[in-house]
Amino acid sequence: MSKGINVRLLTITEEKDMTGRNRIRSLIIKACSTAVFVALVSGQAGFAQAGPREQAKRIHDRIAGVPPSSAVLDAMQSDIASGRALDAAFTAMDDSAFYDVTLKNFAAPWTNEAMSKFVPLNDYIATVIGLVRDGEDFRKVLYDDVLYIGDPSLNLPNYSTSNNNHYESLENSGVSLKDNLERVNQSTYAGLPPSATAGVITSRASARAFFSAGTNRAMFRFTLINHMCNDLEQVADVTLPPDRIRQDVSRSPGGDSRVFLNNCVGCHSGMDPMAQAFAYYDYEYDANSDPDGELGRLVYNAMGETDPETGSRVQAKYHINAATFEQGYVTPDDRWDNYWRQGANRRLGWDPSLPGSGSGAKSLGMEFAHSAAFAECQVKKVFENVCLRPPSNSADRSQVSSMVASFESQGHDLKQVFAESAVYCMGE
Amino acid sequence: MSSLKFALAVTALALLLSACGGESTEQLPNTSQNSGTVTYNGPAPSTDDVATFKRTVWDNLVTQDKCGACHGANGQAPTFVNEQDVNLAYAQANSIVNLSDPSQSAMVTKVAGGHNCWLQSTSACVDILTTYISNWAGDSEGSAKTVELSAPTIKDPGATLAFPADSADFSATVYPILTTYCSDCHAGSGPAPYPFASPDEATAYSESKSRMNLGTPSASRFVEKLRAELHGCWDDDCTMSADMMEMAISDFAGLQDSQPVDPTMVASKALNLTADGLLANSGGRFEDNVIALYEFKFGEGQTAFDTSGVSPALDLTLSGNTDWVGGWGIDLGPAGENEQGFMVPAGKAQGSTTASRKLHTLLTASGEYSIEAWVAPGNITQEDARIVTYSGSSTTRNVTLGQSLQRYEVLHRSTTSDQNTPFATQDADMLLQATLQHVVVNYTPTTGRQIFVNGVPTDDVDPNDGGLLTEWDDSFALVLGNETDGNSPWQGAIRMVAIHNRALTPEQVQANFEVGVGQKFYLLFGVSHLIDVPESFIVFEVSQFDSYAYRFTSPFFISLDDSVEPSSIPLRGIRLGINGKEATVGQAWANLDVVLDSGSYEPGTGQPLSSLGTIIALENGPENDEFFLTFDQLGSNNFARSEPSLPPQPEPADLPPSSEIGLKTFDEINESMSRMTGVPTTNQAVFNTYTTVKQQLPTVETIQGFLSSHQMAVTQMAIQYCDALVANSQLRDQMFPGFDFSAPASTAFDHGGKSLVTGPLLSRFVGSNLASQPGDSEIETELSELMDRLTSCGAGCEPDRTETVVKASCAAVLGSATTLVQ
Repeated sequence: MSKGINVRLLTITEEKDMTGRNRIRSLIIKACSTAVFVALVSGQAGFAQAGPREQAKRIHDRIAGVPPSSAVLDAMQSDIASGRALDAAFTAMDDSAFYDVTLKNFAAPWTNEAMSKFVPLNDYIATVIGLVRDGEDFRKVLYDDVLYIGDPSLNLPNYSTSNNNHYESLENSGVSLKDNLERVNQSTYAGLPPSATAGVITSRASARAFFSAGTNRAMFRFTLINHMCNDLEQVADVTLPPDRIRQDVSRSPGGDSRVFLNNCVGCHSGMDPMAQAFAYYDYEYDANSDPDGELGRLVYNAMGETDPETGSRVQAKYHINAATFEQGYVTPDDRWDNYWRQGANRRLGWDPSLPGSGSGAKSLGMEFAHSAAFAECQVKKVFENVCLRPPSNSADRSQVSSMVASFESQGHDLKQVFAESAVYCMGE
Repeated sequence: MSSLKFALAVTALALLLSACGGESTEQLPNTSQNSGTVTYNGPAPSTDDVATFKRTVWDNLVTQDKCGACHGANGQAPTFVNEQDVNLAYAQANSIVNLSDPSQSAMVTKVAGGHNCWLQSTSACVDILTTYISNWAGDSEGSAKTVELSAPTIKDPGATLAFPADSADFSATVYPILTTYCSDCHAGSGPAPYPFASPDEATAYSESKSRMNLGTPSASRFVEKLRAELHGCWDDDCTMSADMMEMAISDFAGLQDSQPVDPTMVASKALNLTADGLLANSGGRFEDNVIALYEFKFGEGQTAFDTSGVSPALDLTLSGNTDWVGGWGIDLGPAGENEQGFMVPAGKAQGSTTASRKLHTLLTASGEYSIEAWVAPGNITQEDARIVTYSGSSTTRNVTLGQSLQRYEVLHRSTTSDQNTPFATQDADMLLQATLQHVVVNYTPTTGRQIFVNGVPTDDVDPNDGGLLTEWDDSFALVLGNETDGNSPWQGAIRMVAIHNRALTPEQVQANFEVGVGQKFYLLFGVSHLIDVPESFIVFEVSQFDSYAYRFTSPFFISLDDSVEPSSIPLRGIRLGINGKEATVGQAWANLDVVLDSGSYEPGTGQPLSSLGTIIALENGPENDEFFLTFDQLGSNNFARSEPSLPPQPEPADLPPSSEIGLKTFDEINESMSRMTGVPTTNQAVFNTYTTVKQQLPTVETIQGFLSSHQMAVTQMAIQYCDALVANSQLRDQMFPGFDFSAPASTAFDHGGKSLVTGPLLSRFVGSNLASQPGDSEIETELSELMDRLTSCGAGCEPDRTETVVKASCAAVLGSATTLVQ
């Protein structure tokens, strides 16, 4: 089909007044379309019987997104043939494209509400890449005092709390992120007290996407989506106490309280007491001159800082629309409680060694990261990224279970999950 | 039973009010238009108070159509509307009014009990009489009154009968009477609303529930309508009809079992809102200058009564898709088909032009106004929708309050304002929300129009200078929820509308907002049987929130015995019970953990437990639903709650098998091409092309999602990389060692020239010995044919034809599925 379309395009081009360049292009297009047609057919047909060499090629393609050099392919083939397929997968992870391409696009959708991959490199993405590269406990992504920046020797613009130039320059320089990311303390660079850092949650990119305007519930929801693989509908539970639902939530949307009782309460009863962890954070930007907040910055009311509207450290956005339901909850601090440790959402597998409540984003990040749902979510995301499909049948699901166990037992190193997924999907 | 003065919130409100007390307010003009029927020629009022009585009460009630017919000079006692001597009338009236609590005046309670209301709605008469007496009493409006708590009848929860879920028992008992005697009008297709005699049993049952009282069948609306209001009786015998109906409802009740509460629970005593609720509305609204008031208390029929007491009453007729909202209000719906399949226009409530003229008279006289409303917009997408309008058509008006998206709009005619140019709140402020809101539009010649939402001024400044209302048209009509022509419908609920002929001050707006809307009650849940404190109660302020829910707020603990105080009584986990079970949704005090102690307890006002409020679902209506409380712990009584273990997760369904292979995505394609050709991604031409086509490249791996547009982008990338490759002599020499790029196209590809090109392309781009890639010979054949075609120009080829052919061959492989598929 693509051939036919391209030929038609070629004809259209030829009808124009052809410059030399146009002629070259049309010739090349013709050539390309021919080759694609052939290769697509033969490529699909030829894959039924995959030997170690084909398996090695696929592992490399899936992990690094680029074809291997012949030397690497030979080495991987040999590993697979010798029953060391995982080693072959780790070899593929030595390729810088695993960091520059695969991991970058893996994390990019988590950093914006539209879940677009087409965003420039930012501190959130760089931190995810860095943690994986260093084989760190990936759970730290939600609570550690961690940030990855470009190597200072690259002469990039300095890291800034109020723009993304540092990361965009790093990306455009074309240098490998594998070799040029450096771990630093987020608190040193982002102007936050160490206790107020919470991994990517308090990254600038995340703040811009999920703390700007609104009520900070977006941070909760998107952390839930991106790191627990559940959207709010899936965790709605109307039976939990609504005592922490803020005043801004209408109890009679459109004048009909059934909507609240059957829908709104299901998400807000659990979300509001947890999103309270973000009560001291905001993203400041000039909505008139910079409506997208490109030049904004994360702000945090540290000890002793008082918001003039709330009279406490709580940001004013937590008290907006207070007249909507005056008897709703008035946020006094950043104390959070996980109501989902009761009811149907116990299935998310909360860590019994944690208290299920705390103050601020850091401990909430840990509550999330130490859950079974977090581990399973990371594994499923990697599985889908490598196998190009969600876990689809009982074999896939049991593979996911075994990878979750392996992830948890091997220090929560995400590379292990990439390797095991790639081997599982390398073809037979 | 004991009682005590209870002054909840009175202190705070009184402070607030005293702050506003300095505002000068003008008395209403005498709007009585009764002079045509009664001309007073008797002795002048002997005191100022008699004069006030005459102006506020006597003038309004003396006419024959109200109290004058019976309670005049020669009528029955009390002759409080003696038309011959107002001083004698005054003396009589004093015996039947309570000026400190006008609503408790004998004159009012008598009418409330069913005595000769001159309107269709008893409650409207009650409100109007209360207003008259309040006006006589002086500035009682705007002041808070004391609510006296008294103990309710003590009963155990669960004794109340609840309506069964299915309609079988109803069908066997009450339904036959309804279908036999009521179906001419109430079957749904007849002239009357409320299809409780519908041929559809389920509809009839659902409509009938609120009209039957299973606990006290004689108090059922069905029975009262027949017995007291003589409405729709059959066989010309209302007593017999009422008895028959009561018997049927008793039979229905007899078939139901009470639903006792789980005996292990720690439960309070039980209450019903209508029977046991103490009226909690403590006044505090500023209505000194109200000239039209709609509280929508009547709850049925087609008339919304103007209970301002300012004659003539500007009653509104409901038409189209309108419904009453439980807890006072009307709901205005869009045009559409009703249950019987008939087209119904959008709802509206409209007054007559004659009665509406009082707005013209009173507002043009004062030159200012406040329009105050409690509204719940149905959505935030409707535009040009009229909420309150005093107008002639969609383009001619005196004043209109409307909604456009999230803006409140005010259109108004004055000597300085164009009647069709809206003054509105800002879009960005998103002040209008689809929830219950208090909105006030103020107009004065000095400040122009001002809008207040939920008691707060929006700070939007009227662009027009202040003007006069002298150009207002007195032939217009007051309409709620639509335009007079029916073409600007508004969807939502209106819970109250008040029109004042003086602008409210910001303090008054705030005060009226704080008072809220709807009837509020105190429910006193008895807990004396659980703790050693006599006459102790946990009290909630309760109201019907809308047609589907109750609101419970601000619980406090109190003993009606002032001589006792609680001491270190733990109270943990309060849950609201309804009809024998705990409500599933809305348990806002489940996590409450307090200690009842004298330190926090104040005799007379009690101990506040929480400032929170919640809503719980309405089941059988305020006449029937029975509430109680349960406690996890109260004193030494404990109830151990245990959570059931999680049910096993069901095995997810298998997904359809998906392709083993997929596409590379944008960055992967770019990086792969860079690796294969050796051209860095930062090459300017490559970078520019990539930036241009990036979003046209595949973004997901799914091979079924491959589009021709993807291939076009891939092709452009391939061409650019191959162009950069061949243009760079170092890179091309590394890639195609031995190939003579300077040779003419006609000879460069002879004698192994082709294989100098195809060989590297195969090994670098396709890889060797990979069964998953196309066979070398197939590709070689394709490429060979391609080169032949491109070099067929022979000696006539351009000088750079050789490079072009290599680029084309390179792009053919690079842009193919050998790169693209993973």
